[in-house]
Amino acid sequence: MPSIGTRAQVMGVALMALALFPLVANPYLLYVVNLGVIYAVLAVGLNLLLGFGGQFAFANAALFGIGAYATGLLQVRLQWPYLLAVGAGVVFTTGVGLLVALPALRLSGLYLAMATLAFAQFTQWVLLNWEKVTFGAGGFKIPPPRFDPLPLTSAQGIYFLSLFVAAVLVILAWNIVRSRVGRALVAIRDSELAAEALAIDLARYKTIAFVLSAFYAGMAGALYSATLNFVAPEGFDLFQMVVQFSMVVVGGLGSIWGSVLGAGLLLAMQEGLRAFKGAQEIAFGLLLMLCIIFLPEGLISFLKRHLRGWSEPLRRPDPRR
Amino acid sequence: MLAYLLVSGLASGCLYALVAMGLVVVYKSTTVVNFAHGELFMVAGFFAYTLHVLLRVPYLPALLLAVLASFALGMLTERLAYRPLMHAPTISLVLAAVGFSFVLKGLARQIWGGRGDYIPFPPLLGTDPIIFGEIVLVPQQLVVVAATIICMLLFAAFFRWTRTGKTMQATAENAKAARLVGIRVDRVYALTWGLGAAAAGVAAVLMAPLTFVYPDIGMSLLVKAFAAAVLGGFGSLPGAILGGLSVGIIEQLAGGYLHTSLMEISAFVIIMAVLIVRPTGFLGARGLRRV
Repeated sequence: MPSIGTRAQVMGVALMALALFPLVANPYLLYVVNLGVIYAVLAVGLNLLLGFGGQFAFANAALFGIGAYATGLLQVRLQWPYLLAVGAGVVFTTGVGLLVALPALRLSGLYLAMATLAFAQFTQWVLLNWEKVTFGAGGFKIPPPRFDPLPLTSAQGIYFLSLFVAAVLVILAWNIVRSRVGRALVAIRDSELAAEALAIDLARYKTIAFVLSAFYAGMAGALYSATLNFVAPEGFDLFQMVVQFSMVVVGGLGSIWGSVLGAGLLLAMQEGLRAFKGAQEIAFGLLLMLCIIFLPEGLISFLKRHLRGWSEPLRRPDPRR
Repeated sequence: MLAYLLVSGLASGCLYALVAMGLVVVYKSTTVVNFAHGELFMVAGFFAYTLHVLLRVPYLPALLLAVLASFALGMLTERLAYRPLMHAPTISLVLAAVGFSFVLKGLARQIWGGRGDYIPFPPLLGTDPIIFGEIVLVPQQLVVVAATIICMLLFAAFFRWTRTGKTMQATAENAKAARLVGIRVDRVYALTWGLGAAAAGVAAVLMAPLTFVYPDIGMSLLVKAFAAAVLGGFGSLPGAILGGLSVGIIEQLAGGYLHTSLMEISAFVIIMAVLIVRPTGFLGARGLRRV
């Protein structure tokens, strides 16, 4: 088996490279990499729910949007400083995630998917129609946050903040999935009945999965709003959801590092297709479909198979396949 | 006002019922909700438009061809997004169908999207409204109701009296036993998906003259059809019809008496309310749990 170093070494080097990246990057590249870092947070959060918990929900794009809107609106409407708005926005989004989880606990499988799809449509409707608060279909601009005592431009400040948050949240997720919570989620995914027989409290762990993914989505939304300095409803529609699904699936369902990889690769693809907007839907849809059929464990399965020290615990292929 | 709302609610309810029927037929035989169902509807509408408006095929042949094309597209969906994943977890099936729906949507936008996205479609009969006392009817609404009733009768007759219909019922009841008595279950699945798509296709060609067809219509229609199916009790065909009519009427009443923007989310409210209060709907079986 060849080795390119342990995963910890590779990730450490990658993190260092990303931390030094602003020294050499032009503003556009910095912006793209910043988006990639934010998408890594989103994909990892979604994977906790989808890949580990086995709960199929369409709510993530909507929660991402709620995080971005809450953070932005607090700054624009109430003149809150950025960091305070981030805190409040994330808490708000996590609360909404908890509300979504409550009915979701009674539902499973296709019903859950449909109910959360309806929630996603409802969120779009609120963002579009509640113009007094959300500015409606046109969206709104957010002043770039300042990091005053530090000698950083706004873009650099957001970049470092995103990188820091992403590193913390990815490591957190990596620890969660190896803990009691992670094992409980995997047990629920593989068989709810068997999990219940092992005295796993389904309602409790499903709620945890929903709240965690809402927290990750809210955090990503708060960073996203400051990176773009602009939010509009169309950024958080079902296509956004398909982009996130593709990232998780292409990287590998049930693999934290796979999500990081998938987020990076697919964001690069999306930026590459920026000029051909019409092709994006086809490309992401096709990729999602093909990957589910032909590569159900995602790209990370290659690394796991061929590199020493990249295996992950508990992530064996689904026995039903 | 009330009469007008009820009538137009009934007309759009008929369409939702047809789309919901397609959803339920597929669900009954394969226990899968086709998340690309709304896009099948959308593509059928565009087929009808291409044939009738662009190629000037006469109305009835154009509609029949469009329905046939959506039947074929339904079978293609089964082949691409269902059959390779038949034994995979639900998550994989839904993800594949969602992926396929975006492929269809993207293709539709590429092919037909340049024409201002919203496409006008001439009605079957004239456009002069018919007036009964207080009620004003658009002739197309009558066409919709009549065609829906015919379609439902055909469906019922098909399941009751034809051999193929009976094999479908047998497969839905118990696929293993059906295979044992010599039914080609794979073929039945493909036919069922085709049939479901054809029902959506009928709805699409009927709806095209009433509203516009546009690439993004699929998802909102899927949610409405799901609301109809859930309201009727998922897995029941008469329930889907009843649910479809109710969703259409509720939507119109909410739009007419409360606020027009509520029309878009009434389906969402219905889904949530039914799932929380009475998950089995009007006609659903009680106490079923798939393990």
